[in-house]
Amino acid sequence: MTKTVLIVDDHPSFRASARRMLEAGGYEVVGEAEDGGGALTAARQLQPQLVLLDVRLPDLDGFEVARRMLEASGPSPQIVLVSSHDSSDLGEAVGASGASGFVPKSELSAEAIAVLIG
Amino acid sequence: MSGPRRRLIALAALALAFGACALAVVLGGAHNTDRGAYAALALAIGWGFTGTGLYVWTRRSASNLGPLMCAVGFAGLWKALTFSNDGAVFTIGSLGAVLIYALLVHLLLSFPSGRLESRLERGLVAIAYFNTTVLQLAGLVFTDPAKSGCAKCPGNALLIERSEAAHVIAAAQIDIAVAVLGAVVAVLYRHWRTGTPGQARAFTPVLAVGSVTFALLMTSLVVEQAEASSELARALTLALFASIACLPFAFLGGLLRARFSQAEAISSLVGRLGDGGGRGVLRDALAQALGDEDLQLAYWVPDQGVYVDAAGRPMRIDPPPPGKLATPIEHEGERIAAIVHAAELAEQPELVQTVGAAAALTLRNERLDAELRAKVAELQASRSRIVQAGYEQRRQLERDLHDGAQQRLMALGINLRLIRERIEREPEARELLDASLEELGEATSELRELARGIHPAVLTNRGLEAALKGLATRSPVPVRVLATPEDRLPLSIEAAVYFVVAEALTNAARYAQAQTVTVSVARRNGQIELEVSDDGVGGADADRGSGLRGLQDRVAALDGRMELRSADGEGTVVRARIPCG
Repeated sequence: MTKTVLIVDDHPSFRASARRMLEAGGYEVVGEAEDGGGALTAARQLQPQLVLLDVRLPDLDGFEVARRMLEASGPSPQIVLVSSHDSSDLGEAVGASGASGFVPKSELSAEAIAVLIG
Repeated sequence: MSGPRRRLIALAALALAFGACALAVVLGGAHNTDRGAYAALALAIGWGFTGTGLYVWTRRSASNLGPLMCAVGFAGLWKALTFSNDGAVFTIGSLGAVLIYALLVHLLLSFPSGRLESRLERGLVAIAYFNTTVLQLAGLVFTDPAKSGCAKCPGNALLIERSEAAHVIAAAQIDIAVAVLGAVVAVLYRHWRTGTPGQARAFTPVLAVGSVTFALLMTSLVVEQAEASSELARALTLALFASIACLPFAFLGGLLRARFSQAEAISSLVGRLGDGGGRGVLRDALAQALGDEDLQLAYWVPDQGVYVDAAGRPMRIDPPPPGKLATPIEHEGERIAAIVHAAELAEQPELVQTVGAAAALTLRNERLDAELRAKVAELQASRSRIVQAGYEQRRQLERDLHDGAQQRLMALGINLRLIRERIEREPEARELLDASLEELGEATSELRELARGIHPAVLTNRGLEAALKGLATRSPVPVRVLATPEDRLPLSIEAAVYFVVAEALTNAARYAQAQTVTVSVARRNGQIELEVSDDGVGGADADRGSGLRGLQDRVAALDGRMELRSADGEGTVVRARIPCG
């Protein structure tokens, strides 16, 4: 079954590329958000199965958004964190956030996401 | 001869004449025992107070103390008129018989400044005057001495009608007097406790004799109200008058002690200044001279138009801190400093000015030092601001890179990977695309390193611990991070620590051939202590190459120090200490 996805990133060019990539990979992109507050609202309304979530957002950081999404009532989405930084900059924070995993933006592909969410 | 001096001489002559009259009245009085003792005490009180009062008046013409002491003396002589056998004189004496006590209350509460400082003090004095004048007159018009226990007293010229009201008024007068006197003793004790050491020294004899006097007066009033034995009442009255007679000398002694104390303070100050000494000696000497341990010195810096402390830090003295006053000190017409002292010293402006004048030359020299320190402090602050601005610019540059070129490259990468999937069947195009993606990967990686070198975003977003762990992870040499502060530090300090560690790790990997590196950052005693040590070949020199030298400057801009220990074959230790409030 096609997975529904919410893309959260403050850069429109990245969101557009990610949408193309996900749709080509068989995902259904149900929404986009450009900051943490918008992401929480969209996740509540759209109930996506997967959230592609940038770590560096203008208001809340991605770890905090992930924590709140997973704590919210209702079915929790799977969350894949992305960043233009590499994993050495993020350290233990990815594991602590409860997200399914992390993919650097420079290596982002539908296959890399599929490996993480199983 | 000046007008004021002539007036004082006239007053002395009047006191002498009034005293002689009082002496004659007391000795000739037919309605009292102990005439000799009373005569001597009346003169001691009258002449004692006027004599000492005139002396104080000449020395401290601006103060009320001299006139008040003279008034007490005249009131003492006035009281003696109650011994008269003549009805009119007796009545006049009776009318002012207790005024002396109100004047004593006024005098004691005014000592040593000559002013009543609080509403409570003014209230107590007003009640005392009301009690000893208005109520005294009210009682007198209903009092017939012959029927009030003094058979030999002459008639009361003011008597309208003998009435029980006289007893009621007298009882009220006694109750009011006892309450006022109790409050006065408490206020006097507070004056003594809260005054500067110089004031306390002046106040001690006055408080001692004044307390005894008021205690005797209260006891005497209570005994009078209880109508206890006349022998006891007589003895108490004599003791009270004797105590009052001692009071003027207590006042004089107190003032002389204050003057002696001032002279001693100035002499000691001059001696201490002559001994020289370092920073702080002048403040301590002035504090001792003025008896104000919390005294502060503010030095005037004309270039900046501000006062600074001895360390050169700006100091606000207008308005002065609560409970303090600032007395400006000038030298040859030039403003050089201000002494910020206890407000109580406002009562001794001449002492503060004299002490300031004695110290003016030393103050001028110290002011030059303070001015220099102020300029150094300003330079330090400006260097710190420049470094801070540099950090801000780096942060902005990193953000611009992240938000601009980096994101576009990331998006481009995704697009290229998508195209690659769609042209599976065209090997040449795919080869070209792979090469492009490899180039893009390299460019992205270089850009990321560049951004991190400009400013590590992780430091801003996640703090020093995460940033140092990131450095440790990327280092080709194994790194152990032993300690990091639990709380966030100011950004400029976090950035300085990060870049020192980053540079030390780079050096350890590039030049030191180190096997392991340890990093420790701790907050102790108001400063950040940083140590990076490796087990490499040593021999590093901060003067060769700009990396460590630049970091030393960054640390120094934060008022910190960085040291490098790197003997040949003994590894390298970089230590930095940065103040962190």
